[in-house]
Amino acid sequence: MKRIECEFEPEVLAAALQARMPEPLRTHVAGCAICSDVAAVAAAIDDARERTRGDAVVPDSGRVWWLAQVRARREATKTAGRPITAIQVIALACAIGLLGACFGATSTWFQAWLARVEASLAGFSAGAFLAEHGLIVLATALVLLLVPGAVYLALGRE
Amino acid sequence: MLPDVTFTDVSRAEAVDDAHAGFVMDEDTFRAFYDRTARGVWGYLARVTGDRQLADDLLQETFYRFLRTTATHESEAHRRNSLYRIATNLARDARRRSLIRAPFSLPCSDIESVPSGDLGGAPERNADFTRAMSRLRPRERAMLWLAYAEGASHREIAEALGLREGSLKAMLFRARRRMAALLGGKK
Repeated sequence: MKRIECEFEPEVLAAALQARMPEPLRTHVAGCAICSDVAAVAAAIDDARERTRGDAVVPDSGRVWWLAQVRARREATKTAGRPITAIQVIALACAIGLLGACFGATSTWFQAWLARVEASLAGFSAGAFLAEHGLIVLATALVLLLVPGAVYLALGRE
Repeated sequence: MLPDVTFTDVSRAEAVDDAHAGFVMDEDTFRAFYDRTARGVWGYLARVTGDRQLADDLLQETFYRFLRTTATHESEAHRRNSLYRIATNLARDARRRSLIRAPFSLPCSDIESVPSGDLGGAPERNADFTRAMSRLRPRERAMLWLAYAEGASHREIAEALGLREGSLKAMLFRARRRMAALLGGKK
């Protein structure tokens, strides 16, 4: 089985990072493929790390904190607005339902119409009804489905 | 006359005032932590993405997301791992976006074009290193940088990169092998 680690790796790594390799370790590295890779890669990356850190111009911590606060506030405002629009939609639906119930309870015309509907339903045939009024039924269903969504979107945009 | 304040306004104001209360640490702790880690994270992002400008943007995003995490950090090491994990994910997302936008070319020369002051040494050595890094897979770059620039343990690297610790040793071995071959001018 191919070896993927060597017991001298930590020592080689430490020596490579200090750029000081004692002679016995140097001899080992020369004959060990794993340690020679460790030494080459660690030295190159350490060198690059020094250069990269020297070049790094990072923003001041106070500025980063301030920007984070501003952003968190903005996101909080957006989030706080969301459940309120949902509540408004529910309130609107409740109001419409309540109005409908009051109308149904007080209107004699509506009650008479309801009684007529009930009587006519005795001999009701869904197929015949749809054949005659299919378009109206479809339009009503579409309105009932689309209006709540449109109201929600309109209020959401506000 | 009563001020025209509704429940909605009150809720909004409270939510906005408490926005920074959701941060994982207070200002003083954050600033000290940032001062200790920002340069390292920037270097990591710059080397993994190969793009200084992108590293600048991702650094801000990394620290913001870190502040908004809900996780509790038991130690400084745990905090750092969490930070590097966020940075890794952001770098990966940025790479995916750039893959969608245009064929991905590794603009590592961008890093090389910056003067390195007296730390520079041999420019050709810098160029060789950058060229070698650009030929590695992003995950290999991240792995090697964390191991040899940040001195992270196998467990820490696995945590930061979302890998299994058990398979890391072999993956690191292969990445190191490739990097050494590239540095030595071998294919």
